[in-house]
Amino acid sequence: MDVSQYLEIFLDETKEHLQSLNTQILELEQDSENMDTINEIFRAAHSLKGMAGTMGFKRMQNLTHDMENVFSEVRNGNIKVQPNMIDILFQCLDALEEYTSSIQESADEGTNDNEPLIKALNDILNGGGEAAPAEAKKEEAKAEAPAPAANDKEKWREIKLTDTEKSLYEAAKAEGKTFYGITVKVQESCILKAARAFLVFKALEEHGEIILSKPSSQDIEDEKFDFDFSVITVSDAPLDTLITAIKNVSEIEDAFGAALTDADFAGIEASKDDAPAEEVPAAEAPKKEEAVAKPAATKDVPAKAEKKAVSKPVVNRTVRVDIEKLDSLMNLVSELIIAKNSLVSATNSDEANHGNFSEHIEYLESVTTSLHESVMKVRMVPIESVVSKFPRMIRDLQKTLGKKMELYMTGEETELDRTVVDEIGDPLMHLLRNAADHGLESAELRKERGKPEVGSIFLDAYQDGNNVVIEVRDDGNGIDVDKVRDKAIERGTITPEQAENMSSKEIIDLLFLPSFSTAKQISEVSGRGVGLDVVKSKIEALSGEVEVKSKLGEGSTWIVRLPLTLAIIQALMVTVGGEKYAISLGSIQTIEDIPANEIQFVQSKEVITLRGNVIPIIRLNDVLDIESTKSPEDNLMVVIVKKGDKLAGLVVDELIGQQEIVIKSMGKYISKCKFISGATILGDGEVALILDANALI
Amino acid sequence: MDELKIGTNNGSMQYIVIKVGDESYGINISYVENISRMVHITRVPKVASYLKGVINLRGEVIPVMSLRLKMGLEDDVFTKASRIIILKLEQAGTIGVIVDEVKEVVTLEEEQVEKVAADTSQDHANFVSSVGKCANGLISLLDLNVVATEKE
Repeated sequence: MDVSQYLEIFLDETKEHLQSLNTQILELEQDSENMDTINEIFRAAHSLKGMAGTMGFKRMQNLTHDMENVFSEVRNGNIKVQPNMIDILFQCLDALEEYTSSIQESADEGTNDNEPLIKALNDILNGGGEAAPAEAKKEEAKAEAPAPAANDKEKWREIKLTDTEKSLYEAAKAEGKTFYGITVKVQESCILKAARAFLVFKALEEHGEIILSKPSSQDIEDEKFDFDFSVITVSDAPLDTLITAIKNVSEIEDAFGAALTDADFAGIEASKDDAPAEEVPAAEAPKKEEAVAKPAATKDVPAKAEKKAVSKPVVNRTVRVDIEKLDSLMNLVSELIIAKNSLVSATNSDEANHGNFSEHIEYLESVTTSLHESVMKVRMVPIESVVSKFPRMIRDLQKTLGKKMELYMTGEETELDRTVVDEIGDPLMHLLRNAADHGLESAELRKERGKPEVGSIFLDAYQDGNNVVIEVRDDGNGIDVDKVRDKAIERGTITPEQAENMSSKEIIDLLFLPSFSTAKQISEVSGRGVGLDVVKSKIEALSGEVEVKSKLGEGSTWIVRLPLTLAIIQALMVTVGGEKYAISLGSIQTIEDIPANEIQFVQSKEVITLRGNVIPIIRLNDVLDIESTKSPEDNLMVVIVKKGDKLAGLVVDELIGQQEIVIKSMGKYISKCKFISGATILGDGEVALILDANALI
Repeated sequence: MDELKIGTNNGSMQYIVIKVGDESYGINISYVENISRMVHITRVPKVASYLKGVINLRGEVIPVMSLRLKMGLEDDVFTKASRIIILKLEQAGTIGVIVDEVKEVVTLEEEQVEKVAADTSQDHANFVSSVGKCANGLISLLDLNVVATEKE
């Protein structure tokens, strides 16, 4: 079946499920008894498995299958949630994410089997499933939850051997018979699997005796197995005879086997005593696997890199649209058609009803405006999709950094343009890591300073006019201005004389320069000197800005300001010296008419006093190198704009009015001018430049 | 020498002959997207003086430069004959070039084109990559990538 057309949906949904798994498992860690969470996790894992299976991603399916097994045991109350289990589950999610991104790039899941993870999962299953030895080499999982082995041919090794088998084995050995482990694969097209299995059993019984099977013989009879099953059999015939006998059964694809040796039973003696304390080895085993898992993952990297070079991502970016938004779009389009029709009929009918005509035009106008808005809304997605991965990250950071911290998030529902949301993840992650690594003090230090031991990191998002503001705040130590200054001088970024004259804010801004890191120790988390400058440039590339406020000893706040959308803004149109300019409405506070004689001078700069505030004024005609059309005695038309908590007054010649404008890039050839953020095309086809008020202040 | 390769058909190539000042120049037709009549040019502050501003070309904002100023001649006087030639260049992207007049399109055979040695005595000599000989006299063929990238 060609499933490539579903790839996009698959990827979207997989990401969604992975995200929900991440969140839910985090919750589970906090509250391991919550049945709702467990059910939710189980459901997500189950759908993941189903989807991966349908799409033919076998490795992914295997891994999710085993995860699902673990969850199912947890759900049935057979396994208790343990910290190491959560760790392994998170690793599994990481592995699944790897598969997903590989699929996204090359439509192929890659070749990493993640065997160690699968094994670790099986260990959990076995360790907690029943009071059984936790050595977990050749154990049988619970019958309803067959755990596929990493290696298909060796599946029989998963069959758990107990004391009984051991004594049988010894007896058989004395009789000169051999124990065999055999895995039989049934053809996938086989319809009556149970019948075939029965025939296999019968064939084996001709040569010997079946000791154990996996799944249990009852399950096999009920067809409760995939396309393979394993048996332990004792026989005096050689292995080849048995295999041939099995292969003689029709619709059997293949059979593999090996003789069991003493070594296979060696674990039993020791583990018998360990059985009550099964949790301990179970906890240890996964750790070993972790170590193994890493090299396996790195091995995969070169292969992936190669793939990247050849092919572009096979999947386009998509936006999932709320059906309601689409409905309103549809409605508006039908209204548009009605408006068009009424215009057509108005032109056809008598000239007399001209009043009617303008009415229609007004209607058309209102429809197009709403249509505009709706299309914009379709592009908007909540930032939730980005920020919801942060709690998990903080949890991991907590472990790597050895600090206690808690992340509080608000405003996840704030919506931003899809393109912005896609790009904002990395910078935010950087800021959070920074807050965790540099911002928060160690628990001891916090205690000393009389702060709660657990550090708090806040991530608040909210809409502010035409901007969305995302604040990353911590209650850590804040930025040590002196330290930054010393470092900057030491690095030669600034001279000591320069440093004298710099305000603390200016010094803090030095942090955004490339290759500036004040961490005394370079840690894994941050402090490699690539960071804040990247954050800044990335955010500026999105026509946003980033700002820091910090108080030594109390913490720092990083404020990221982003435009709601990149494409369309509400703007105030003004004229300066006969030329038209647009100023984004989002940055405008008020518009004032100021008599020329109210201008005062502070440090030889023009200011006005407005409701007790002293506001510097900027004469746009000077900035734009053009003659004002007004005489110096005239009242000044001042547009008060705001950047953060700074205000400034822009003096313009005339106001034209408010207008929705489409932002166009001016191309790289002419991008030198920094207070022009773009251009727009007006109704009459003329081009007007958009002033970036933030750059003017 | 890109012009010589692009659009070559049996060694012949088409050039749009334009007039700037008293001289005729040839622009390789393969770079020309469009020739537009003069439209309103929106001035952009704080850019090099030869950049006249931006225009609206079918919904796109395109920067426009003055060939006259770029060549060190007097500022343009827009007449009915003035045109904006929209060029699509590899490095600079789409830009418009203001010319005094567009005269004709000529086809030059390979042997009619002669390379010129870079003359350092004149400021804008590098703009001209070669000279074409045709019935109406000599045409200086512009190396557009140099015209677009070289700073004043």
